[in-house]
Amino acid sequence: MSPLPWFTALAHSGLGHLMQNSKWGFAIVETVHLLALAILGGAVLIVDLRLLGIILRRESIRVISRDLSRLLLGSLVVMILSGIALLSEEALKCYYSPAFRWKMVLLAAAGLFYFTLHRRALVNTDTGEPTRWSRAAAIVSLSLWLGVGVAGRAIGLL
Amino acid sequence: MPLLQHICQLLYDSHVGTAIRESDNAFPIIESVHVLGITLLVGTIALLDLRMLGLVLRPIPITRIARTVFPLTWSGFVVMFTSGFLLFWAEAAKNYSNPAFRVKLILLALVGINPLIFHTTIYRRVHEWEALTISPWRARAAAIASLTLWSGIIIAGRAIAYF
Amino acid sequence: MKTRLSLLLAGTLSLGVMPAYAHHSFAAEFDGTKPVRLVGKITRVEWTNPHSYFYVDVTDAKGVTTNWGCEGAGPGALSRRGWKKGDLKIGDTIVVDGYRAKDGSHLIDARRVTFPDGRTVYGGSPGDGGPGDNGTDKGNLPGTGNPATQ
Repeated sequence: MSPLPWFTALAHSGLGHLMQNSKWGFAIVETVHLLALAILGGAVLIVDLRLLGIILRRESIRVISRDLSRLLLGSLVVMILSGIALLSEEALKCYYSPAFRWKMVLLAAAGLFYFTLHRRALVNTDTGEPTRWSRAAAIVSLSLWLGVGVAGRAIGLL
Repeated sequence: MPLLQHICQLLYDSHVGTAIRESDNAFPIIESVHVLGITLLVGTIALLDLRMLGLVLRPIPITRIARTVFPLTWSGFVVMFTSGFLLFWAEAAKNYSNPAFRVKLILLALVGINPLIFHTTIYRRVHEWEALTISPWRARAAAIASLTLWSGIIIAGRAIAYF
Repeated sequence: MKTRLSLLLAGTLSLGVMPAYAHHSFAAEFDGTKPVRLVGKITRVEWTNPHSYFYVDVTDAKGVTTNWGCEGAGPGALSRRGWKKGDLKIGDTIVVDGYRAKDGSHLIDARRVTFPDGRTVYGGSPGDGGPGDNGTDKGNLPGTGNPATQ
């Protein structure tokens, strides 16, 4: 079943009308999206560089990831909520946009990977030396999140 | 025409400025690097600020975090300054009179003064307080100033395109 | 004196055209109840993201010339419709069908552009919610319900 009706409904929702008719709505929500990106990106970077064994080698990964995953998930929630508002402003364009489809696929992959294999790599490595698997997990994680960002930028450019 | 405006116009009309502005891909690619580079620069600074406020990574001493993020923050700064300067080169004549751009420059100047004050005062005695869960009030004030100013820079930066 | 006055006037009018460069929907800037047709000579083209701009000098029945700003989709969407960079040259006479800005300035949203060779291209930004938009690159020309390209 095509998700098109969902996109149409979002475009015609109260939120959609508000975003489409307001002069500053999109700009303000987009800025919130960017502020949360700064925090999310910082948290991903520190956790994955630690997993690669490049920084904070003497500190426990469990401690680092416990604190930073709260930051990461908190900013992810802000990004998803602001993202839905941005989507409502140009829902049909996004429906047809290959960049938007890529972004959603990569976001789903990044989320799934984060809660499964990445989490296992964090727990397994803890204070030990980075293994081939923990390094691979860090690189996959960095690539997926970067991909989400690049695809997100591409929505407005393609 | 004021000297600064004249310089901006020269940059705008120069070969490089025109090439970036009129190229099919250069401007959007540089702009994307500038946007995603926020994570490297502001994301890492924010982590140190949040640590001083006692919100994250409490068991790790301040100096450990500072030394860790230092190279990341500075690489972020190089990426942001280079990409930002290229964007300015392409748009200089428009940026000159852009109120959001002017606000951004003022905030950038202020955000540079903040660590100067911080490092010549309370950070000199960092070894007395680096292991504290929550840093002394002067360090917390510097952290809040940093978070506020960097947020302001992102807001003003995004607003440049709307004026 | 008269030339100086008209220069001053032209300067003020061109200041009146202040496009919002960043992303926005049709309804945020333009009024769908105010269609307008401009026939004039191209004075400037800005082939930029997320919207392109081109400017035309339009002379009215009284002989007064006004410079109008016309906003179109970004380079990506326009290229896919067959409108390439450099297709519009300074001095070309074109016809632009569009809608006026809400703030009453001399800025329109260009929905249909007719080139000197008679070719017409849909100018709306994909997904901007404006007249003829259906979210895809191929919007409908305003009022016709026909696919816009060619």
